[in-house]
Amino acid sequence: MSDISSVVPSTSAAKPRGRVLFNYLKRDRLALVAVVFLAILVIAALLGPWLMGDAATKLGLRHRNMAPFQIDAGWLYVLGADTLGRPILPRLVVGAGNTLGIAAAAVFTSMLVGGLLGLVAGYSENWYSHVIQRGADIIMSFPSLLLALIVLYTLGPSITNLVIVLAITRVPVYLRTARAEVLELRERMFVSAARAMGANSARIILRHIAPLVLPTLITISAIDFATVILAESALSFLGLGIQPPEFTWGAMVANGRGYLSTAWWIAFWPGLAIMLTTLSLNILSSWARTVADPQQRWRLQTLKKAAR
Amino acid sequence: MLHYLGRRASYSVISILGLLTLVFFLTRLTGDPSALYLPLDSTPEARAAFAHLNGLDQPIYIQFWNYLADLLRLDFGESMRQHRSALEVALEAFPQTLKLAFVAMLLSLTLAIVVGSMAAARPRGLFDRIATVVSLAGASAPDFWVAIVAILVFAVGLGVLPTSGTGGWEFWVMPVFVLMLRPFGLLVQVVRGTMLSSLASPYIKTARAKGLARHTVVFGHALRNSLLPVITVAGDLSTGLINGAVIVESVFGWPGIGKLMIDSIIQRDFAVVQSTILVTATAIFILNILIDLLYAVLDPRVRY
Amino acid sequence: MNPTGIVSLVSAAILAGAASPVLAQNASHDIRIVLPEQPANLEPCGSIMTNVGQVLNQNITESLTVIDAKTGKAMPKLFTEWKQVDPTTWHFKVREGVKFHDGSDLNAKAVAFSIERMTGGKLTCNNMAKFGNAKLTVKPLDDYTVEIKSDRPQPILPTLLSVVMVVSPKTPVDKAVNNPVGTGPFKLTTFSTQTVVLDPFDGYWGKKPVVTKATYVWRQESSIRAAMVETGEADLTPSIAIQDATNPKTDFAYLNSETTAIRIDMDQAPLNDVRIRKALNLAIDWEGLAQLFGDDIQRASQMVVPGIIGHDDGLEPWKYDEAEAKKLIAAAKADGVKVDTEIKLIGRNGIYPNGAEAMEAMMTMWQAAGLNVKLVMLDVADWTRYLQKPFPAERGATLVQMMHDNNKGDAAFTIPIFYRSSGQYSSLSDPAVDKEIDTAMAATGEAREDGFKKIFRQMRTEIVPDIPMFHMLGYTRVGNRLNWKPDITTNSEIPLANIQFKN
Repeated sequence: MSDISSVVPSTSAAKPRGRVLFNYLKRDRLALVAVVFLAILVIAALLGPWLMGDAATKLGLRHRNMAPFQIDAGWLYVLGADTLGRPILPRLVVGAGNTLGIAAAAVFTSMLVGGLLGLVAGYSENWYSHVIQRGADIIMSFPSLLLALIVLYTLGPSITNLVIVLAITRVPVYLRTARAEVLELRERMFVSAARAMGANSARIILRHIAPLVLPTLITISAIDFATVILAESALSFLGLGIQPPEFTWGAMVANGRGYLSTAWWIAFWPGLAIMLTTLSLNILSSWARTVADPQQRWRLQTLKKAAR
Repeated sequence: MLHYLGRRASYSVISILGLLTLVFFLTRLTGDPSALYLPLDSTPEARAAFAHLNGLDQPIYIQFWNYLADLLRLDFGESMRQHRSALEVALEAFPQTLKLAFVAMLLSLTLAIVVGSMAAARPRGLFDRIATVVSLAGASAPDFWVAIVAILVFAVGLGVLPTSGTGGWEFWVMPVFVLMLRPFGLLVQVVRGTMLSSLASPYIKTARAKGLARHTVVFGHALRNSLLPVITVAGDLSTGLINGAVIVESVFGWPGIGKLMIDSIIQRDFAVVQSTILVTATAIFILNILIDLLYAVLDPRVRY
Repeated sequence: MNPTGIVSLVSAAILAGAASPVLAQNASHDIRIVLPEQPANLEPCGSIMTNVGQVLNQNITESLTVIDAKTGKAMPKLFTEWKQVDPTTWHFKVREGVKFHDGSDLNAKAVAFSIERMTGGKLTCNNMAKFGNAKLTVKPLDDYTVEIKSDRPQPILPTLLSVVMVVSPKTPVDKAVNNPVGTGPFKLTTFSTQTVVLDPFDGYWGKKPVVTKATYVWRQESSIRAAMVETGEADLTPSIAIQDATNPKTDFAYLNSETTAIRIDMDQAPLNDVRIRKALNLAIDWEGLAQLFGDDIQRASQMVVPGIIGHDDGLEPWKYDEAEAKKLIAAAKADGVKVDTEIKLIGRNGIYPNGAEAMEAMMTMWQAAGLNVKLVMLDVADWTRYLQKPFPAERGATLVQMMHDNNKGDAAFTIPIFYRSSGQYSSLSDPAVDKEIDTAMAATGEAREDGFKKIFRQMRTEIVPDIPMFHMLGYTRVGNRLNWKPDITTNSEIPLANIQFKN
């Protein structure tokens, strides 16, 4: 008997959960790199303004658009300077906070709201499920720029309002995806079984269906992060995004738009930062999906050999 | 089914009317348009005359009443900028965007399904990793960046494609490519995700145990059942393309409805804002109905 | 190292012999012009708007007079001579032998028709802005003589008439048209969402232009416009951003009659103290700021460009002196002025290239000098509320980013709106100044010029109601086929008759 048990993955042992997760991470090198990168970003977001705040906002009109990889002006200028001569590296570090904060807030809010509404709309066919769906349709048809203009014009250009605008425009995709999954899931046997056992709708939705819908929503949210950052960039280009002297990576990219052939680095570095962040989030979400799914987890587990 | 369609259609009409009402009132909250149509040094009398000529000096409820009355006669108002019927302006621009969005979406979806499925077939393998990195890089790159760099490289540098404008197939290559990036990137990930779940199901194991070839299993069986969320996301992306191909339209000079809408919003050309939203909303609502019908076709468990 | 440069070098060999998708225009004299934005419409009464004027002016429709850029004086076009009979009456002679594109004749009645269409009020006529509140009465005296009476003395009526575009008497008076019929050397063939095409008009009264067909397209991105001229897809673009003007053989800068400035709201504390206003001017590193706009940019000391009647050539602009600025602020503070009050710097998105950067830079400089300045970037409609009367009541202390265009040769189009108490942009309210302005406006010749110069000097040295920044430059890119250089009027018109070819 003990021979058989020696090839069973040792999840039943009383290992602390963190340790288990860390082992999973070690098995997937790319996910490990992604986590490290994101950790660095979070540290930059938290400590950046304190460490490099001055460097990021100091004007240097005499070295506008300075090219990267020259260290004469100091190591801070290694990535070049922007249109007002401010060094790009410190601006990336300081901008991480605003960028990640706004994007995370918007994505999280829209995923929560959209996901819940979609669950409700998909599970039953009453009047309020129709109202929710038509509401989603209306939001989808309402041009996001107009929404941004209206909110920002009437309520003023603050970060909160910006997050609200960005969140509202992203709600429909989560709503409709959640609804689509629920439509299919509600006909499955485990739902009828739960109902037969007397579970009410709310319990079925939240305890049984939601966990199955979550992975797809998380997959979408990882890329949605980039969509929100770039949407903010488009708003910045039109002057409706974050207001100077505050800035995000998206605003930096928007500023560099007219210089792509002459000073490519202004838009390139923040664009690269956005790309790497999205990549990391996506790899991480894909890894998390594998960990969370009992049928996939085996890919990240090692076989434990029993002592002989 | 017909009953369902009838209900959806009537709900949609109500929603569109609700949308137009919302847009009507909200856009008029955004300031006096005369600043944009008259030179900055115009006198207050000139501004008052402009407001009067365009019916902007009346109380908003009267303006709304007139708007509804005009709608019943199918008169959607006149563009303050172009001095033409607002609906005509919107209907001229819409096909340009539709063409571009359709081609881009079709290509993205097909490629994403192929690439996503192949990536899911061997997760964390080399193909999967490369596909993930490439698709995500495309999806998170700022579209104007890709567009302008593509133009600089292919049109100015190599001279093999025209810089911009509409025309034969060579004018479509770069705009479609740029438009495809985000949909392709997102769809690859979604397909991969849902395929991973499907491929782990018992019936797939059965199919493999029966000895079916890998590609039959992946494409013939697993794919069909993963498509629901994929179609949803694809549908959402399509509507995003219709409303949001602005960058591509403005960089490449395609006179599409995205750019028209943005310009009208910035210029406070209310009639055109309303007519463009009407046109795109109708298209979006029709698209959503089609997608819901598609759910039923693809998955017999979905019943209306 | 510019990656695009490398690619261009490497692909030069590939290019030589590769079939290019460029239209084969080289043999003919057809040209292609790429504009920054689509002309919203082609209504001749709106020709002072850049995107309309650049296509229409002197090409499809012509004006009654034109301004000589160097002297600022009115020159004949469709009016050949004129004289002022009394302070409110002028007589003009109409050019004979001119036909419209639809065959009608140009005569005194047709001129009266055009002017009445403009002033009639049945359609929105933007060009009327230049006339302010003046009322004109037009009377044909005979077939080729017109009498124009105004309700108040108009010493520069011929200058004002340079905005009147003459249209065929068959043009509707109560609605705007998109198919204008004028007397110009070209007629309109096509106006679509993608292009405007002009073909030559054989019955033109003047010299036949060399250009045989003009196609206009539009692209919003400056880098794309520059690329199109570079690849040969277009022959000319009248406007590219300064950073795209990298090739001295094809890229030409020109003074475009725009002056940038910051308008100070003199009603609100602490801006109502002249020391603060002077400090605002002194605290800016003007040389550094100029870097945003290019090496050729001219510093402005007053709100009109050199060449305009009334421009004081001897007036020096403010110099950078942070120490002096700080001293003034300290002195004001000592007298109880609340220098810490938040001052809102109101920027306008897209007003001019690098406008937002300039505002950020100026805000930072003012903060360094000790003032509490906060930047708010607004879109056009919102910004206009702060620019013009009536100003919003709860605005607080504001500084408004603005740009003023005067290419009509005379400071009369600038001084009243900026400095008179009734002026649209003016936060000044000084009866003595008003009287000086009115006197100068009614004067002619040297008295007029000197009157205007005195007012500009007073503003610069004593009253300081604004912060003049720069006289702006426009940049054009001209393809290899053409022999053409821009001038100060290029911002408002591109007469195809001035375009020659290199052969």
